[in-house]
Amino acid sequence: MIHALLFLALAWQTASPQVTEHMQAGIAAEKEKNFDLSIKEFKQVTELDPSLVDGFLSLGQAYMDEGDYGSAIPALKHALELSPDSLPAHQLLGYSLLSQGYAREAIPHLERLPDKTTLGIAQIQTGQLPEAVANLQKALSEHPNNPDILYYLGRASGLLAKQSIDTLLAAYPDSARAHQAMAENYFVLRRMDDAEKEYKDALRLRPGLPEVHLALGEVYAGAFQWSKAEEQFRIQVKLQPGNAEAAYRLGESLLEQGKSQEARAELVRADKLMPDMPETLYALGKAASLEGDNPAAEKSWTKLLSIEKQSSLAAQAHFGLAGIYRKEGKTAEAKQEMQAFQALQPAPSPK
Amino acid sequence: MLNILFRAAIAVSLLSQTAATVPTTFDVVAPRGLDFTLENSPTPQKYLIETMPGGVALLDYNNDGLLDIFLVNGGRITGPMTTPENFGRHDPRYWNRLYRQNKDGSFTDVTEQAGLANAGDGNYGMGVAVGDYDNDGYPDIYVTSYGKNILYHNNGDGTFTDVTAKAGVAAGGWSVSAGFFDYDNDGKLDLFVTRYMDWDTKHSHDCGGNYHTYCPPEEFPATTNILYHNNGDGTFTDVSKSSGIAAKKGRALGVAFADYDGDGFTDIYVANDGMQQYLFHNNGNGTFSEVGLEAGAALSQDGRRLSGMGVVFQDYDNDGRPDAIVTELPREIYGVYHNEGDGTFTYRSLETGLGILSSGSSGWGVGLEDFDNDGWKDLFVAQGHVLDNVEQIDPSLHYFEKPLLAMNHNGRFERVDSAAPAPWAGRGAAFGDLNNDGWQDVVMTILGGRPQVFMNRGGKAHWLTIILRGTRSNRDGFGARVQVNGQTRFATSSGSYLSASDKRLHFGLGSAEKAKVDVIWPSGIHQTLNDVHADQFLEVREPEKP
Repeated sequence: MIHALLFLALAWQTASPQVTEHMQAGIAAEKEKNFDLSIKEFKQVTELDPSLVDGFLSLGQAYMDEGDYGSAIPALKHALELSPDSLPAHQLLGYSLLSQGYAREAIPHLERLPDKTTLGIAQIQTGQLPEAVANLQKALSEHPNNPDILYYLGRASGLLAKQSIDTLLAAYPDSARAHQAMAENYFVLRRMDDAEKEYKDALRLRPGLPEVHLALGEVYAGAFQWSKAEEQFRIQVKLQPGNAEAAYRLGESLLEQGKSQEARAELVRADKLMPDMPETLYALGKAASLEGDNPAAEKSWTKLLSIEKQSSLAAQAHFGLAGIYRKEGKTAEAKQEMQAFQALQPAPSPK
Repeated sequence: MLNILFRAAIAVSLLSQTAATVPTTFDVVAPRGLDFTLENSPTPQKYLIETMPGGVALLDYNNDGLLDIFLVNGGRITGPMTTPENFGRHDPRYWNRLYRQNKDGSFTDVTEQAGLANAGDGNYGMGVAVGDYDNDGYPDIYVTSYGKNILYHNNGDGTFTDVTAKAGVAAGGWSVSAGFFDYDNDGKLDLFVTRYMDWDTKHSHDCGGNYHTYCPPEEFPATTNILYHNNGDGTFTDVSKSSGIAAKKGRALGVAFADYDGDGFTDIYVANDGMQQYLFHNNGNGTFSEVGLEAGAALSQDGRRLSGMGVVFQDYDNDGRPDAIVTELPREIYGVYHNEGDGTFTYRSLETGLGILSSGSSGWGVGLEDFDNDGWKDLFVAQGHVLDNVEQIDPSLHYFEKPLLAMNHNGRFERVDSAAPAPWAGRGAAFGDLNNDGWQDVVMTILGGRPQVFMNRGGKAHWLTIILRGTRSNRDGFGARVQVNGQTRFATSSGSYLSASDKRLHFGLGSAEKAKVDVIWPSGIHQTLNDVHADQFLEVREPEKP
């Protein structure tokens, strides 16, 4: 990307024949990835014509290509002195400074760039987390699913969340929210006894906190204590009858206990509250299947497959459909679904 | 944002286990003389074999009417191991042990006098199979190992002879569970040996990040199981390839036998670790076809691979057909594959209540036995995680667990107190009536400790125990389908994990004082006995002629 932005200014083409000769030799060496030679040639250019912006830009680029960001910085700074508005110079200098850990110095240069990715990364390093999140979200909207941006956005968001929680814990350590935050932390660490205790403390302080019942239910569900989970999800559903996730979780907990009829009713409600959720559709199909209502199971799983085709849920739906068709004696359809299921399985271990 | 809204709960294990307040069925006892310790020899090198033994068999080796106990030991492991491996099996501490039951319920160690002392320095012990392969009326013992397996012929005088070389059943590699069955109905017991993986101490390594752990099975190549055909002259032929068994590589730990489709030929269910389970359908012509996937008996209800370890292949819901119950690791509920009677199975772990009882546990040895004699087979599972440091990795999981005892109420299982005084690293489990009181007992092995004996307290319900005596069929009657008052058992000593159970077929009769007994022998002979009195051990001899 950096390379493509170089050599926008073609002023060197009007320079002296000697400068031009070294410039062309440097570019040729660069193409050959012979960076030592390209650096040598571009240095000649800057010595022969110290006013030529492209010479310093090219030298800075060559250093960067060689991985020597520290040496690139003086050349790029000189290029900016010669041409303060040069976008390539700002970009390269911003990258070089960031690479060397000078995030604060890099930011003014990166702010000038239309792409906000590196600016967001620099802002993580300077602790400007809200700004970093905003810039990385903008970058992600322009480069969807870019793994680097996804990573840094996740990191910035996580740090921002941690910052907020740290402030909460420091300022209000005995508050219900502090206990809730601690519980979430323990949940991630799988310290379920501690998570349970903290959630209960949060509820003791603020019995109306609706999210806590849902979360406490998830603690029990994660520990496979499904009847206790059911109890918490029921409270959540009562507090928030319009909460689709609560309805889904309650349905799931019922399903795990083999209470398929009740589960199905709750999952139908979840589906109405938030239609076309693959998780709900899968669970709905499973509940119907447990009840022996194969047409309903088939309907749910087929609908799921119209929404998701490549996910693990899609694989599970294919597997479920294969079972239904097998029972119905539809051998060809069962075989087809099994093939679709197997096609979605991860590749076997090479060992 | 679906994944955020419906984020998967981080699966963890039990905060606490609850047990229904039902009267205790068992007393956990320490019979006098039963002084065995299972030496698994854990090392910092985390050799995978260390966490996998050991088997237990309940057999009446001297035909005195009392069940004796054979226990398989692991061996000495020094870290790091050098090759050729020496597991120190000449040292009495690492011997397998045979305990003869005395009339007073105590046991006497008869290992040395029975000729079972040294199982070979190169063999780290795993499991045991029991069957009368030469139809001489005395049960023979097959011991599996990492290394070479050993077939001990019962001489009928209280001693055994190692006939492995003559019989040609040493196998090699890492053998785990094994079982005798008659796949071709020729009246002679054949032998199936599961093998776990292509692994040796030289190529072993540990896994895990901050904590060194035993590696998951995927770290090592899969391998084949072995089927030996009994030639009837004291020798066996390896028919793994010609029978189609070797066509499927796997990571097998458990094996159980039953005729699931009623075609008169015994089929094989193999519990594989970390992959699909195998159901080998007996084609009746000496070959098998693996049909697990198409029969719906290979994966979870959600199409997930399972860490199959132990397996039992009996009828839990009294519909007359064998169902498979597979024990697994936490986060994978024990699999209940209900036999639909049309060659297919339906996954019923949730409906049977077993899902909710097992999702946080690691199961190994397993048995379906009617512990309260109410006419429904209950479930016992030896439990304990694979990793001896699992709490450091996930505080909600446990290396030591109490066994699961779940009573069967019309096909639905409910946990009751197993009476285990402490959690252990349970592995093997064998089932039988140790004191001949008509109530099924359990012997469970635990890593690094003494075997635990669960003596059934008994009750008022009636029972009937049948001893098959094959004539045209194999003498043990393995493979026979026996029905008593609407209940069905498939005669076998195999199933569970690494273990062999009492070959006698036990039935709880509830309040019934009489029973109708139907036996379909492997020979095809159908035998019916009416008005059989309850509360007795009944020998049923196969008619010489159809």
